[in-house]
Amino acid sequence: MGVAVSEGRLTSPVLSAEKVSKSFGPVQVLFHIDFELRPGEVHALIGENGAGKSTLMKTLSGYERPTGGRILLDGQEVQFVSGADAEDRGVVLIHQEFNLADQLSVEANIFLGREPRRGPFLDSSRMREEARALLAELETNVDPQTRVMHLPVSDKQMVEIAKALSRKARVLIMDEPTAVLTANESRTLFRQIERLKREGVAILYTSHKLEEVKEIADVVTVLRDGHHVVTAPTSELSVDDMARHMVGRELVDLYPEKAPQPAAETVLEVSGFSVLRYAEDVSFTLKRGEILGFAGLVGSGRTELMEGLVGLRPAHGEVKVHGEVVHIRSPKDAERRGVAYLTEDRKGRGLILNQEMRPNLTLFGLDRFCNIFIDRRREEEALDQATQRFDIRAPHRRIHVGHLSGGNQQKLLLAKTMVVEPDIVIIDEPTRGIDIGTKQQIYNFVEDLARQGKSCILVSSEMAEIIGLCHRVVVMRSGRVMGELSAGDINENNIVRHAMGLSHNGGGRHDARH
Amino acid sequence: MTLATSAARQPSPPARRRINFSALGPLLALALLIVIGMLLNPNFLSYGNLTNVLARSAFIGIIAVGMTFVITSGGLDLSVGSMAAFIAGTMIIVMNLLVPSLGASWLVVLCGLGTGLLLGALAGAVNGLLVTVGRIEAFIVTLGTMGIFRSLVTWLADGGTLSLDFTVREIYRPFYYGGIFGVAWPIIVFAIVAIIGEIVMRKTPFGRHCAAIGSNEQVARYSAVRVDLVRLSTYVLLGVLVGIATIMYVPRLGSASSSTGVLWELEAIAAVIIGGTVLKGGFGRVWGTVVGVLILSFIGNLLNLAALVSPYLNGAIQGVIIILAVMLQRERSAAK
Amino acid sequence: MRTLKLMAAATVAALLAAPGAANAQESATIGVSIPAATHGWTGGVNYHAQHAIDRLKAAYDNLEFVLATAGSPSEQVSDLEDMMATRNIDALVILPFESDPLTGPVKRVADEGKFVTVVDRGLAQDGIENLYVAGDNPGFGRVAGEYFRERMIDGGKIVVLRGIPTTIDNERVQAFEEAIDGSGIEIIGMEHGNWNRDDAFEVMQDFLSRFPEIDAVWASDDDMAMGVLEAVRQAGREGEMFIVGGAGMKQVIKGVMDGDETIPVNVLYPPAMIGTAIELTALRYVGQVPVEGRYILASPLITQENAEQYYYPDSPF
Repeated sequence: MGVAVSEGRLTSPVLSAEKVSKSFGPVQVLFHIDFELRPGEVHALIGENGAGKSTLMKTLSGYERPTGGRILLDGQEVQFVSGADAEDRGVVLIHQEFNLADQLSVEANIFLGREPRRGPFLDSSRMREEARALLAELETNVDPQTRVMHLPVSDKQMVEIAKALSRKARVLIMDEPTAVLTANESRTLFRQIERLKREGVAILYTSHKLEEVKEIADVVTVLRDGHHVVTAPTSELSVDDMARHMVGRELVDLYPEKAPQPAAETVLEVSGFSVLRYAEDVSFTLKRGEILGFAGLVGSGRTELMEGLVGLRPAHGEVKVHGEVVHIRSPKDAERRGVAYLTEDRKGRGLILNQEMRPNLTLFGLDRFCNIFIDRRREEEALDQATQRFDIRAPHRRIHVGHLSGGNQQKLLLAKTMVVEPDIVIIDEPTRGIDIGTKQQIYNFVEDLARQGKSCILVSSEMAEIIGLCHRVVVMRSGRVMGELSAGDINENNIVRHAMGLSHNGGGRHDARH
Repeated sequence: MTLATSAARQPSPPARRRINFSALGPLLALALLIVIGMLLNPNFLSYGNLTNVLARSAFIGIIAVGMTFVITSGGLDLSVGSMAAFIAGTMIIVMNLLVPSLGASWLVVLCGLGTGLLLGALAGAVNGLLVTVGRIEAFIVTLGTMGIFRSLVTWLADGGTLSLDFTVREIYRPFYYGGIFGVAWPIIVFAIVAIIGEIVMRKTPFGRHCAAIGSNEQVARYSAVRVDLVRLSTYVLLGVLVGIATIMYVPRLGSASSSTGVLWELEAIAAVIIGGTVLKGGFGRVWGTVVGVLILSFIGNLLNLAALVSPYLNGAIQGVIIILAVMLQRERSAAK
Repeated sequence: MRTLKLMAAATVAALLAAPGAANAQESATIGVSIPAATHGWTGGVNYHAQHAIDRLKAAYDNLEFVLATAGSPSEQVSDLEDMMATRNIDALVILPFESDPLTGPVKRVADEGKFVTVVDRGLAQDGIENLYVAGDNPGFGRVAGEYFRERMIDGGKIVVLRGIPTTIDNERVQAFEEAIDGSGIEIIGMEHGNWNRDDAFEVMQDFLSRFPEIDAVWASDDDMAMGVLEAVRQAGREGEMFIVGGAGMKQVIKGVMDGDETIPVNVLYPPAMIGTAIELTALRYVGQVPVEGRYILASPLITQENAEQYYYPDSPF
């Protein structure tokens, strides 16, 4: 089925797959995949969620065994017994959810399982030196003795890479390495990728950011529904081509037509609002039927501000909902006022991964399903409605939520929040790490909400999303509002200038007239 | 089109009816024990023996039902055995003190019952508050209170045994030895507690919230669950149930000493885990706990009835069966 | 004379302990190390130890006492080390938790030149202690066995509840079995009740289900006898059998005094021996009557006739 293209690739592959298939029980997720990865090549693997990217990566790196076909390392068939076995042979996978021991120090993590020793004891001075050298190569200033739990996500990524480097990786496989990184951090990562490439390391990585793929990958392979669609040099494919291959149809405009201008009625008015250590003196208003964007760099305090608003963090300041001053001390208070918040961390804070969809769906609005006892039938009905309305695709109803793809998890999280029928929905990074098809569905959904007269706050680090959806945009930097943009002023240039602190009208209280 | 997506597009796939072995594991183990018991001693299923075993299961059983909620929500309580001893001791002292003024009457017994329930709720609240408001690990908190309650009862008893006034005891005695329609009170109370517990766990928001908190406290918090309140409630509930268990215990021997309730906490926790509740929280089932308690009691009963092995090895047999019961479940659920 | 009656010893001590008999003496510190009160009998030990100390302290200004209770053998070893290191004791009175683990540590105390009194449980090595005060464990079993033998001339079926598996328990049970050997008395069931009321209650319930006919129960301890009695009452089989416990718990002695049918006799194994030991040790520092050697307190049979002299209503045990 696939159209393998291999002109101009002269070196022989270091790692390859021949007709690899993989089934989980009755469900086949990979169908006869042919794939080659060469030294000194950056190879991007793209596809929608559930296309089989992660499974292919895990199969190549020993975490899963193929149910058909074979894997070749340096032209020889290999059967990796485990991920550790593959690592020993130079094939290292960096998971999207990092495999780091949170309580251990950075250096302990880097050398975990292969600690240098002096006699029976750990050689900690050597460990420290080598860790420092590795981290220096990566141009990060992470202290090797910090505990991993105290590091921001981007530094954890660097630790993972350092760990891989310490293992003398010849093949480095990265599952969405940039999903959690800021633009700057991504830039550093790309420099490292370039350097590793020059040293002859073969790099396979996935990303949903097609521009990024276009920029740094040499070769692209597209998967769809477990099938190989195309492999081609990046230079031969436009971003639109990639998206088309992924979806299997022409993509109409990613963003729906903007909802009509909001009504004049103000539903939420926040003034002089502060969240300890994270946000200071923030004021803004939200109108009925409006989509209000919150832009800014990662760490600019937007998430914490929203968490403060719904009572998840200690905060103070004046909040009026429908003109009435309210004191929201807990998410329950917020819910009673018709305000609901969708966390950015769907796996850690949004969903209970080891439970089924039904209890997850109804947890937030559980009292709506109770008389004295929980009415199981009403829950099941709600699940039917939610799977239809939000197009949640699951192999079966009783599946644990952790086994759903990221996109379906996000849709379930949306459905869960909508159970309480809020008037004001605060959505935090709704499309992080999910595929284009699902993104489009979520955009449509947000737009629909606005059309129905609900109001929406959209916190996003994806500029295009903010520009494509929002009526008005508040830009934050270091916990303060730097500016507010509306209608024609909403463009990348303006947002970036505010976010970087380059404009002059910033500095706290902002005139919220509209 | 792939299998995965085509199946998924069906809005409501038919629920697959399959026998769930991991759920039935403890029940099968119990059934096996009963069959072995029948073979070894014809008296095993006699009315007298069944009444004995069920009635003596009641203390641990009532406590274990409460423990199921605590463990399901990610907590632990090591203090229940000492708590029971402390409550028993205080109840006896209170009743003995009241005898001179009130005479040996039902009123005295009622005051004793009230003391037991109140003290249980209070002791549970102390544990719960230290865990939720004090933000101390449940293990440490209850390890601490375990020592405190145990010392208090030793101190109250002056190192010896507290005995209930003989006349009050005669009035109180039917609480353990009496019953209706030939079913002893402890068995009736245990059954009621278990049924209510099962319904609360499966059918009420409280039970659902316990499981949610035990699975992922953050998700629960972000989903508008009042995490601290639910946590605190589980400890208070457990405390009250310890109180109820103690109310059934005191009339049995009419005494309390520092050796009362020793190791009850571990038996209760073992019963909960044998029943299929997950030790680290997130999933609990009360009926499983009941089966776990019965398994533990029947093992002890069987070993006494049959004298199969050297009495020195009784503990080993119990240990093996506990580990086996849990292992069977794990194997099956892994194969699922 | 190898044995010395408890009452006699106590009388000697009381005579010497009378106030005014004390001359100005060099001060001395006596360490007392006993197991924590985990069941009735050790509860009694604690009571009598405290009691003896209070009495001696009131009588003699020159005596200091350090009382430590331990929950395990290793805790007891730590207590000894603390006494040596920080309190500089002159004499040690110890009721060892277990014989073997404490033999070495007590020997070190003796090697430092301290006066050592060992109570109840002997050490694993002879000649370490200066004074040994103990109950008679084989005697305890034998006296009970002899009573069974006398009372059941035609033989019969009995069940036995044993204590926590230890040497003490083994000695008692062995002597009991020897005493009834050849009498036609058959032990139809024997289980550990761990010197615990609740355990004994449950074990006895099961014995009652298992055996339609039981003529007597040797509960081998008064705590266990209380549990057994309750189980027998529940089954409504009080008339069928008699129960013999042991140790001298006040409720049981009271019952014997009042002529109880179900628990007709008791065998003494007095926790008060710790008080005797402390007093005998103190004699060394107040009376210039160095007492050394071995004092084995007999385990007499307590019957309705002699019960009154063993009855201490104020003791917790």
